[in-house]
Amino acid sequence: MSRNRAIPSSVLLRPSRLQKAGRAALVLLALLFLAGFLILPVVAVFSQAFSQGWRMYSDSIVQQDVLSALRLTCLVAAIAVPLNVVFGIAASWAITRFEFPGKSLMITMIDIPLSVSPVVAGMMYVEVFGLHGWLGPWLMEHNLHVIFAVPGIVLATVFVTCPFVARELIPFMQAQGSDEEIAAVVLGANGWNLFWRVTLPNIKWALLYGTILAASRSIGEFGAVSVVSGHIRGKTTTLPLEVEMLYNEYNFTAAFAAASLLTVAAIVTLAIKKIVEGTTGVHREIEEQEAES
Amino acid sequence: MSIQIEHIRKQYGSFTALADVSLTIEGGELMALLGPSGSGKTTLLRIIAGLESPDDGSILLHGEESTQQSASTRGIGFVFQHYALFRHMTIFENVAFGLRVQSRQLRPTRQKIRERVQELLHLVQLDTYAQMYPEQLSGGQRQRVALARALAVQPKVLLLDEPFSALDAKVRKELRDWLRRIHDELHVTTVLVTHDQEEALEVADRVAILNQGKLEQIGTPQSIYDRPASPFVYNFLGNVNLFHGRLLADLSSQVREGSAQEPNGSAIGFVRPHELELSRELPGDVKAVLANIVRIHATGPQIRLELSIAGNGRPVAAELGRKQFEEMALVPGDDIFVWPQSIRLFENGEDTSLLLDQGAGI
Repeated sequence: MSRNRAIPSSVLLRPSRLQKAGRAALVLLALLFLAGFLILPVVAVFSQAFSQGWRMYSDSIVQQDVLSALRLTCLVAAIAVPLNVVFGIAASWAITRFEFPGKSLMITMIDIPLSVSPVVAGMMYVEVFGLHGWLGPWLMEHNLHVIFAVPGIVLATVFVTCPFVARELIPFMQAQGSDEEIAAVVLGANGWNLFWRVTLPNIKWALLYGTILAASRSIGEFGAVSVVSGHIRGKTTTLPLEVEMLYNEYNFTAAFAAASLLTVAAIVTLAIKKIVEGTTGVHREIEEQEAES
Repeated sequence: MSIQIEHIRKQYGSFTALADVSLTIEGGELMALLGPSGSGKTTLLRIIAGLESPDDGSILLHGEESTQQSASTRGIGFVFQHYALFRHMTIFENVAFGLRVQSRQLRPTRQKIRERVQELLHLVQLDTYAQMYPEQLSGGQRQRVALARALAVQPKVLLLDEPFSALDAKVRKELRDWLRRIHDELHVTTVLVTHDQEEALEVADRVAILNQGKLEQIGTPQSIYDRPASPFVYNFLGNVNLFHGRLLADLSSQVREGSAQEPNGSAIGFVRPHELELSRELPGDVKAVLANIVRIHATGPQIRLELSIAGNGRPVAAELGRKQFEEMALVPGDDIFVWPQSIRLFENGEDTSLLLDQGAGI
């Protein structure tokens, strides 16, 4: 496997003064855009959060409601992410290793959550599980609460995040092919050995990458969760919902303090993602394999 | 262990990969399955391995019905065209894999595994590479690792799917000789799939030639080269002159073989370049044609001539020994008489033309 480094374009082209100026202008424009639309808002979040001092900030966070929202967010992520990992591996394995009728339909269906507005996703669940929905009466009879309760929030989150792992794995596994797995089977490996010794080690970085994306989305999901949650403080509000509620109550410092937690979570996942990309070159590997095949 | 292939059929949609193929591979034999792409040779190999199941027919391993047996329990070693080494494992771990995944009762001790792997790495001359990863090795080295990995579980049958075709010519030749030596040492029943006739004829005990899902001919390399059973085999083995024509009755003066017998029937004749006789004078007892020497390839023990038949310009290849070449003192542009020493004729439905009118002896 050759690791060709691209020759920097600056070696190939000796730019004129005018070209240099144009290049600088482009870079400046991009930087300004980033600063204005991405960095400034993040700074604003933290400056608002700390505007009344550290004391006020920490008080806002250790509030009962914020803490329970944080707990619920973590709980939802802890359920939704593993579910998606299992689904993602199973779906990618099925799609890349077997031929079956309806395969292309399945590939399309995996993308539905990305193309449907999250609000619509939430409403679909209300229609199915809500009091007046298809399964509502039956659920009532058995005293099961889905909508306006934690199960509904988990379902909505699973729905929105379900493409992430599969979409990361499918192209990767397609590019890798199944030769190694066939070799392992011929050598006498059973399904267990095949998965743990051959498949998983080969896909682990792409899997981790997809998992990070799914985790960050499930922590931050607002629209779908908002519809099914019912906004019961301390019970069915996740952190993004709590932020909105605090904000609507003109409790800006507390709202931004809670928002800063989400922002930190986002920055942490970005950092992990960057490290994963850097140390393993998931995408570089995919590109190389595609180039080879 | 012997392999019996009985009336195997395999269909992919409307494409017939194998149409009723029967073949027996003797224990300890090295058999080559030779054919162009799409001939069904790889499908047949994968069916023997249990990686594909036939639509009809059965596979018997050592006399035992094995058609339904799963690939992981057939006790076979498989070597892939693109090596299929486990990229995240060291060379040592790659070779050890088949031993490590055995069930607890069968699995050798750590010490035994270590010894066995080292023994195999020694066999494939890669002792010092144990701790490297596949991507650090060259193609030829990787394929040797793949072979060691396949041999680790002491397979009763070794199956190789175009194992050398991704390698460059020199390495390919080395590995081919080396495979033959290993086979002579271990005597594992081996099936080698290849599209390279030179490889098949050189390395195998017997060669089976497949074409469009059917077995064309089976035999030792020599018998196949000397007596190709069909025009396809002749063409596929290459290095042959092909003539179309009509059979004349008075062919007695020349050696002839093949299926075409009917006088005046349309026929295809095959003559190998070394079976052509050349002379500066018109021979008295045979019919010959006049040809012009276009090019001379004089590197190697045999001299190869590219000829063009006078009148119709058809290209013909001839070969002669160095000594005769020097005696005749041939140079490009010379006109010489050419006639076949022996010719192999097959019936042909269509084309009737050419050589007859030239009086070349068909």
